[in-house]
Amino acid sequence: MTYFENSKIFIVIPAFNEETVIQGVIKEVQSAGYENIVVIDDGSSDNTQAKAAELIGKMAFRHKINRGKGGATKTGIEAAKLLGADIIVTIDGDGQHDPKDIAKIIAPILEKKCGVVLGTRLLNPKGMPLWKIFANHFGNFCTWFLFGLWVTDSQSGFRAYSKHAAELINTRADRYEYDSEVIREIHLHKLKFKEIPVAVRYTKYSMGKIHKQGFINGFKTLYKMIWGLIS
Amino acid sequence: MKIHIYQIAITLISSLMIFKGFENYIKGKNGQTVLKLLVRIIVWGGMVLIALFPRFTNILASTIGMEGNINAIILTGFILVFLMIFKLLSAIERLEQSLSQVTRNETLKEIKKED
Repeated sequence: MTYFENSKIFIVIPAFNEETVIQGVIKEVQSAGYENIVVIDDGSSDNTQAKAAELIGKMAFRHKINRGKGGATKTGIEAAKLLGADIIVTIDGDGQHDPKDIAKIIAPILEKKCGVVLGTRLLNPKGMPLWKIFANHFGNFCTWFLFGLWVTDSQSGFRAYSKHAAELINTRADRYEYDSEVIREIHLHKLKFKEIPVAVRYTKYSMGKIHKQGFINGFKTLYKMIWGLIS
Repeated sequence: MKIHIYQIAITLISSLMIFKGFENYIKGKNGQTVLKLLVRIIVWGGMVLIALFPRFTNILASTIGMEGNINAIILTGFILVFLMIFKLLSAIERLEQSLSQVTRNETLKEIKKED
């Protein structure tokens, strides 16, 4: 039996008001061959949890109040750890990531080459709007400047962690600055990491969502990152 | 030396705040550090000093190279306002984190029970 067959791989999907797409995302993950799926409905005002529960039952959790993408992701990772995960993969709930890439993302961890794998959209930015590419480069610069580690996509939500890395990484951020805090933790704990290009699917749906990382939210994220350093 | 009511009030309030700082530190309340205690002593102690010895602002002004003592008072005021905002934002941040933790515990209570 291989390490892959022995490993418990958990896919964590934070979701906020994604009732129209969440089942599609879960089905795609299942089709890619992963059964352990944890969905965290981050206090949605729609039926995201109910829709997810139709496919994964009790593994569809719900925050009673909205705590942000970082807060929901952290809850999902905690759940996966409690359920005995060996590898934890985080993937966005709006369907922008292709679950077929999960195999690429977890491969370096299965081969024990590193503890964290960051899916990077900027090594393969096909379909990504120009302003988004620019904003991500700016985010990378700020993350490097504040936290001291250069990565090509500091805001990607598509990541994989070994059990050891998931235990070490300790974040405080609840909102979008969570992604950058993970980079800080990788640097702080000197964790080995690898960046793997992943496909990105920007649809009308995902681009139209108002809560997504926009210009104003970008500055809020920057402010929170700076505040986290001085407070 | 003639003592005014405002000087007594500031001295009492400042003494109380410094006393609370020592109490928190000795009892080891969450988040209390020597640095926080020192900042508290400097801020509130500084207010007592200025209230009781207003001419201290002249010494401060000449030490840091400002012409009039009014500038020193304004500067001190700015620092105090900044410290208050900083403290308020820190408190909000702590509350946000506590809220997230409570929400997380509530969400995961079922699997924690099974665990």
